[in-house]
Amino acid sequence: METLGNLVFGLGVALTWQNILYCLIGCILGTVVGVLPGIGPVATVAMLLPFTFQLGPAPALIMLAGIYYGAQYGGSTTAILINIPGETSSVVTTLDGHQMARRGRAGPALGIAAIGSFAAGCIATLVIAYFAPLLAEVALKFSPAEYFSLMVFGLIAAVVLARGSLIKAIAMVCLGILLGLVGTDVNSGAVRFAFGQPELGDGIGFVAIAMAFFGIADVVINLERSGQQEIFTSRIGSVLPTWDDLRQSFWSILRGTGLGSVLGILPGGGALLASFAAYMVEKKVAKPPRSFGEGDIRGVAAPESANNAGAQTSFIPMLTLGIPSNPTMALMIGALTIQGIAPGPQVMTERPELFWGLIASMWVGNLMLLVLNLPMVGLWIRLLAVPYRLLFPAIFVFCCIGAYTVDGKIFDVYAVAVLSALAYLLLKLDCEPAPLILGFILGPLMEENLRRTLMIAFGDVTVFVTRPISAAFLIASVALLVVIALPTLRAKREEAMQE
Amino acid sequence: MHIRSPKDFWAGLIFVVLGAAFVALALQYRLGDLHRIGPGMFPTLVGALLVGLGLIVAGRALVLEGAPIERVQARPLLVSLAAIVLFALALQRLGLVAAIAVLVVVGAYAARDVRLLQVLALAIFLILFAVAVFVWLLGLPLPLWPW
Repeated sequence: METLGNLVFGLGVALTWQNILYCLIGCILGTVVGVLPGIGPVATVAMLLPFTFQLGPAPALIMLAGIYYGAQYGGSTTAILINIPGETSSVVTTLDGHQMARRGRAGPALGIAAIGSFAAGCIATLVIAYFAPLLAEVALKFSPAEYFSLMVFGLIAAVVLARGSLIKAIAMVCLGILLGLVGTDVNSGAVRFAFGQPELGDGIGFVAIAMAFFGIADVVINLERSGQQEIFTSRIGSVLPTWDDLRQSFWSILRGTGLGSVLGILPGGGALLASFAAYMVEKKVAKPPRSFGEGDIRGVAAPESANNAGAQTSFIPMLTLGIPSNPTMALMIGALTIQGIAPGPQVMTERPELFWGLIASMWVGNLMLLVLNLPMVGLWIRLLAVPYRLLFPAIFVFCCIGAYTVDGKIFDVYAVAVLSALAYLLLKLDCEPAPLILGFILGPLMEENLRRTLMIAFGDVTVFVTRPISAAFLIASVALLVVIALPTLRAKREEAMQE
Repeated sequence: MHIRSPKDFWAGLIFVVLGAAFVALALQYRLGDLHRIGPGMFPTLVGALLVGLGLIVAGRALVLEGAPIERVQARPLLVSLAAIVLFALALQRLGLVAAIAVLVVVGAYAARDVRLLQVLALAIFLILFAVAVFVWLLGLPLPLWPW
């Protein structure tokens, strides 16, 4: 009952005209970047972040969140119609979605993707509203030792679930932490790694890092690979699924939503993992006759529901623990920090309008997206006619102006250039950028919690294993590493990532 | 010695070099003791971990086979970076309008396929957009002109 009251309170915040407007802008932008293959939600959130400072925390977060889950809707559109996933989380949707389109059933495929996403979005909103306060309550009792161990666990879990080499991912986390430590140490006042540059005393801007890795360097890699993409649009027809389609997809949507909601909460989880897992589960448990890979509507319904649910529930650890589970959430934490709000469990009690407003806005946003996507799908598809050569200079412009406006320092623009060169090098060598961003955000927090823990414990490092919750997190981290290093599971993981 | 996995080898080497650099710098700051850790302690530990991981990654690259590095093309990277640096130089001296023009026109040449008329049109569109939204609507303090 209390949850309901909170949601009503949140709706009151989300339904002010200003917040509705920013939610709409976020959803439209999300749909657009979801449709466009060359640019993803992480880059978009990073580019728009600097322009949200004037808005105040609630509208800013509402808009940025809209971009993230809006991109899940848009990504499915291109996956179905032209077999190009607009986002990585829509990769599995191409399997059955595009087959449906080839068989003249593009409309129902788009329809079920939007309906599934909407249902998942609504349910996930309730999941957040119910579970986030519980988690926040537990987290409020955490001491610095627990926090430190939780961050270690979060980072390990995030890299285990990431693509590519595990050791390289952990190395990227370390590099991220070190870059995060550049600047003035809040505790001792010592200016670290600044090479006498006063600008570096404030540290490297996380906006500059995100733009370098997810904006500029990504564009450069895309330009190197540029091949002409063939645009093939099939007739869409009616987007309304038949009664039979709905009946068939009903359980798939619920299964996808359930799985997505759970996987979204896990560190490293979110939309991508959720969609893959949902498709694999669906292939095993769906009622025969199954025709997966040949245009089975359940192969669209399940992953599309899952990625939207996962996108939304990944807000839970961000909002309640202040721990990001993926790069987009890391940016959200950055957005909070710049707005002067320390992320953590106290956000819910100290800024209830922000917390519940954001959650309620997700429901509003999902409704908008349903309306935006079903009748207007033809409009979004036309965006694909925009060639990349006109798109990427626009990305440059947003990145550069954005980097400058964060603090009004020209130095930050140069920092983007330098970091882009490093990012290019690392991307070229198959080093994933996501762990680096997570490390960058968590690095200073880890140091602070480590320092506080040891201060309280008079330098006794065993405190991390004698406090039960802290010990549990550390044991879980080690267990994850051991499990993932076992050869059999490693093969399975690689197989799953390939698929 | 034979490098079997060039991507991992060079990645490992980068990790070792960067990690070592951070450790070397961190050791100049006070380490403190475990009760009161100084500003040098945490970066030294993490930097050392990075060196260790880099050594493992590079070492494994001598044993395990891996994919070759895709050919590095100078043009997209160098032109993009040059455009950004020129933007920074122009923004301070010539204002936002000129800076965007430089960024778009130079940046467009990062791609092989450049159509100058389209690029100029794009530059004008982005200038109008940026001025309207960022400067007038959001009121960001950006100098528009050199004067």
